[in-house]
Amino acid sequence: MKVTRRKFIQISGAAAAGLATGNLGFDLSPVMAHAQMLKTKYAKETITICPYCAVGCGAIVHTSKKGDGRVINIEGDPDHVINRGSLCSKGAGLSGLVENENRLLEPMYRAPYANVWKQVSWDWAIGEIARRVKKTRDADFTKKNAKGQIVNRTTAIASVGSAAMDNEECWIYQALMRAIGLVYIEHQARI
Amino acid sequence: MPGKSFFIDTLLCMACKGCQAACKQWHDLPAEKTVNRGTYQNPADLSFVTYKLVRFNETVIDGKLKWLFFPDQCRHCMEPPCEMTADDPRAIFRDPATGAVIYTADNKNIDVHEVIESCPYNIPRTARDGTLAKCDMCNDRVRNGLLPACVKTCPTGAMNFGDREEMLVMARRRLATVKKIHPKAKLLDPDDVRVIYLVTEDPMLYHSFAVASNSAFDISRKVALNKLLRPLNRLTAGL
Repeated sequence: MKVTRRKFIQISGAAAAGLATGNLGFDLSPVMAHAQMLKTKYAKETITICPYCAVGCGAIVHTSKKGDGRVINIEGDPDHVINRGSLCSKGAGLSGLVENENRLLEPMYRAPYANVWKQVSWDWAIGEIARRVKKTRDADFTKKNAKGQIVNRTTAIASVGSAAMDNEECWIYQALMRAIGLVYIEHQARI
Repeated sequence: MPGKSFFIDTLLCMACKGCQAACKQWHDLPAEKTVNRGTYQNPADLSFVTYKLVRFNETVIDGKLKWLFFPDQCRHCMEPPCEMTADDPRAIFRDPATGAVIYTADNKNIDVHEVIESCPYNIPRTARDGTLAKCDMCNDRVRNGLLPACVKTCPTGAMNFGDREEMLVMARRRLATVKKIHPKAKLLDPDDVRVIYLVTEDPMLYHSFAVASNSAFDISRKVALNKLLRPLNRLTAGL
């Protein structure tokens, strides 16, 4: 047998262990009891659907019952007919969508020709979006087409919707876009 | 101690990395910065914060390209060389109920690098401060009647977990079926470890540490025998 470093140390380590083995003399019960505590033990369970693809896997979201109610864990829902508890890597990483230090918590604004983003308030951002949408829409609004038919539309704005929106969110979004007069409404419809 | 075991059928693995992500998620481990190295295997290797890694290998066998997937993790050896090398149950111990080999943060009295070198599968990794980490079989989940996170999430049934006898039966039955199409198929070290892989090609093509060197467990068995013969050694030595 050619003794490599790995093997050599194995042998010497094992020999040393052979001289003084027998796992007696240490009380491991606190360590082992800790190892048996489930982090989701006191969590609230809510079911949800993974937003990432068209398969529509069911997941269980564990949130803290105390204090902030943040997400502790998200895993596949064994009772869900589609995935029976399984999730792919995207689904298995779902909690990273919510609990993520890189996640933006405030709206960011980059002014035209600026090269830096600055944090702005929600009030300012929503007001500014509404103002600009209204301005563009009013400037382009078409009541009648070339044939004289009533169309009430704008072709100056397009909406590229979110794949992560669920059915109900899509309905509200669609209603808003139609009310403004948009016809270019695109959505990577999944769930 | 029959305990628990995994059966990992690499033939069913499609390398979605669900196990890898679920493992990180359950253990609250951070992501690692990765770079495009021309392979989907990311991060490049196991680490202090990556206990489970799907290894990708492209190889040509009989003129055909084969893409081999190997969801690598701690094998939870029946007689773990790392546990014996450490020889300090405060640092490394086995849960008698499941057989899970558990590393604690209490590593003051062990030679961390010797422990790493003792592993026939090159699994343990250290943090900067020298603390060891690796797969813990999701012992908290298992002791509470849940499947390990990696097994729970597996969409194809490549990852299986249960009582050891049950897993051995499953592994042998599956091997018999697979052998009809893949004559080179075999189980990796089924008698020595709790994580039994089924591979259809030479294990070295999957990962250089896919199987243990022949000597590794012979030594362990001798040590185990010593243990049986001298159970009171530590007590009589007065620690």
